[in-house]
Amino acid sequence: MSKSSPRRPFGGKSTGTVTVIEARVHRSWARNARMAFVLTAVIAGLLAAVVAASYMHPILALFVGVGVGVPLGGIVWVLVRIWPVIRLLWWWTPEIGLAGLLLVGWVQLASHTPTLVTLLVVALVVGVPAAVPVIRHQIMAWAWCLVVRHRLRVCFAQFIIANQSGSLPLILWATPTPVGERVWVYLRPGLSVKDLEARLDKIAVTCHASTVLIERASDGNAAYVRFDIKRREVLTANVGSPLVDVIDPDTPTVEQAPQEVPTALDLPDVQAPTITLPKQGGTTDRKPAATSTANGSKPAASSSTAEDDVSDWI
Amino acid sequence: MSIVTEPAPVPVGPGLSMFDPIFIGIDEFGQPVYITLAYRNLLAGGEPGGGKSGLLNCIAAHAALSVDSRLVLLDGKLVELGQWEDSADAFIGPDITAALDVLRRLQLVMNNRYAWLRAHNRRKVTAADGLSVITVLVDEIAFYSATVGSKQEQEEFVALLRDLVARGRAAGIPVVAATQRPSFDIIPTSLRDLFGYRAAFRCTTSNSSNIVLGHGWAEQGYSATDIAPTNQGAAYLIAEGGVPRRIKVAYLSDAQIAGIADYAAWIRRPGTITTPPSSPADWGMAA
Repeated sequence: MSKSSPRRPFGGKSTGTVTVIEARVHRSWARNARMAFVLTAVIAGLLAAVVAASYMHPILALFVGVGVGVPLGGIVWVLVRIWPVIRLLWWWTPEIGLAGLLLVGWVQLASHTPTLVTLLVVALVVGVPAAVPVIRHQIMAWAWCLVVRHRLRVCFAQFIIANQSGSLPLILWATPTPVGERVWVYLRPGLSVKDLEARLDKIAVTCHASTVLIERASDGNAAYVRFDIKRREVLTANVGSPLVDVIDPDTPTVEQAPQEVPTALDLPDVQAPTITLPKQGGTTDRKPAATSTANGSKPAASSSTAEDDVSDWI
Repeated sequence: MSIVTEPAPVPVGPGLSMFDPIFIGIDEFGQPVYITLAYRNLLAGGEPGGGKSGLLNCIAAHAALSVDSRLVLLDGKLVELGQWEDSADAFIGPDITAALDVLRRLQLVMNNRYAWLRAHNRRKVTAADGLSVITVLVDEIAFYSATVGSKQEQEEFVALLRDLVARGRAAGIPVVAATQRPSFDIIPTSLRDLFGYRAAFRCTTSNSSNIVLGHGWAEQGYSATDIAPTNQGAAYLIAEGGVPRRIKVAYLSDAQIAGIADYAAWIRRPGTITTPPSSPADWGMAA
C-alpha cells in the first residue's frame, strides 16, 4: 500500500522498488485519502443532519450536517494522507523513545550537575555495562531484537510481497534466545508459512544470520508464525549426564569372566579363506542350542539350529 | 576390631524407572531434554563419529539403573554397548543367529504379554504392573539387516524387528536402533517409518537428513547438514514436540560408563559379582 504514489514523501526506502510495485497497486494514497474523505463526510454529515433535524428545520439541519461532516472528513483525509509517516514513526517508536530518553537524560544531567559529576555519571552508565560481560551481552541481544525486526520488514518489503496492495505482515515483538532472536509475526492475506520456507536462505542473509526457521506459533491460526533466527552455535560444550552422580563410586568392580582374546590382529596374520567373525564369549552360553554353530559366517548350517530354537522356546 | 558397626553395603538402586523421562542432553535454550521411552521407538542416524553411540549409551545407562528394566543389546561392533554386557539380559555381537534367537524370544514374550493384557481387559502395560520394560538397543542395524548372514536370515531379522517395533510399544518392549544411513536398501521403509522418535546426527547431504528425520524437514530448514563435523553429539531430535529440536546429547566417558555399568550390575545381581563374605569382620574389610 505504501508503494503506490511517486509523490508521497515517506514510506519507502528505495524508489526503484516503488516503481516496480506501482504497476500492481490499484489505488494510490491520494485516491485512498479522497475516498476516505468522501465516505466520512457523507456518513458523518448525514447522521449529524438526521439528528439535528429533530431539533430544527431540516434545511438548517442539512447545513449542520455539512458543518460536521466536512471537518471530520478532513481529519480522516489528513490521517490517511500521512499514514506512511505515522507508520514509519510507529516502526521506529522504540528507537525514537530510547533516543529521546537519552537526550532528555543527558540535558537534565548536564544542566543540573557540574561537569566533573556529569562525566563521572556518563562514564559509569556507559562503562559498567561495557565492562560487565553479562550486561553487555544482554544489551547486545536486545539491540539485535530491534535490528532484526527492521531487517524482517526489509525482507517482506523487498522480496516477499504477496498481495496486490503490498501490505506488510505485522511484525510483533521479538525476544533474544541463546542462539539469536525469536520474532512473532502476524501474516497478512497472500502469504503462508510455505511461501516463507522457500525463502529461508534469503531471509537469513537479510537478517545477517546463519539460519532462519519458521514455525507456526498458534494451533488455531495459521497467520500467527514465529521466526527463529540463529546467528551462533551454542551446543558446543560437552554435556555431562546426571546418572554419574547417582551411582556409588565405591561399587565393587565386576569380575570379568576370562574371555578368549583373538590373536590375529594384523593383516598378514589372517589368511583369506579362514576369516571368521569373533565369537561371543559369555552370552551365547546362556542359550544352549545356539552355541554350537552360532556363527554368522555359516548361515546354511545355522538356519536349522535356529528352527530348533523356536521349538525349544515354544 | 571385634564389633563391626557398619554392615556390608546393600545394593540400593537409584530408584529410576523406565517409565520416567530419560535425560539425554540439552537443547539450544540450555534446557534439559528428556524422552519417555517406555511407549516409544527411537531411530538414530548420522555419519560415523556423530554421536549415535553416545545417545545409545545414555539410554542404556538409564535402563541399566532402572529397577523395572531389562536390556537386550545387539551390537555388531561389540565395543559400543559392550560395557553394559553385565547389566544386560542378552548381549549379541556380530552373530545373526543369536540375534534371531533373542528376537524370537522377545516376540514370544510380547505375545504372552498381550495375552496377559487381554486376560485383564487392558490395552497397555503400565508402571503399576510390575512388569519389566525390555529395552532393545540395536547399534548398527545395517550389520544385521544387510551385511551378515544369508538373505533369508536378514529378511527374518527385519521381519522380527518390524514386529517388535510395530507391536512392542504397548507391551513395554521399546526398540532403539541406530544406523548411519537408514535408506531403503539398509532397512525397509516399512520398518523405518514405524519409528516414532528420530534423532539425526550430522549428515553429509540433506537427503540423508531427510531419510532419518522424515521427508520434507530439510526443506523447512531442519537439516542435519548444518551440524559442524567437529560438534559431536549435536543432533536434531523429533520426540514429543513433533518438530525437530536441536539438541546436544550428554556424553559419558568410558570410565563413567564403566562406573555406571559396574554399579548397575551390582544392584542387579549382587550375588554374582562379589563373593558373599563369610564373617562379619570380612564385611568391614569389603566395605
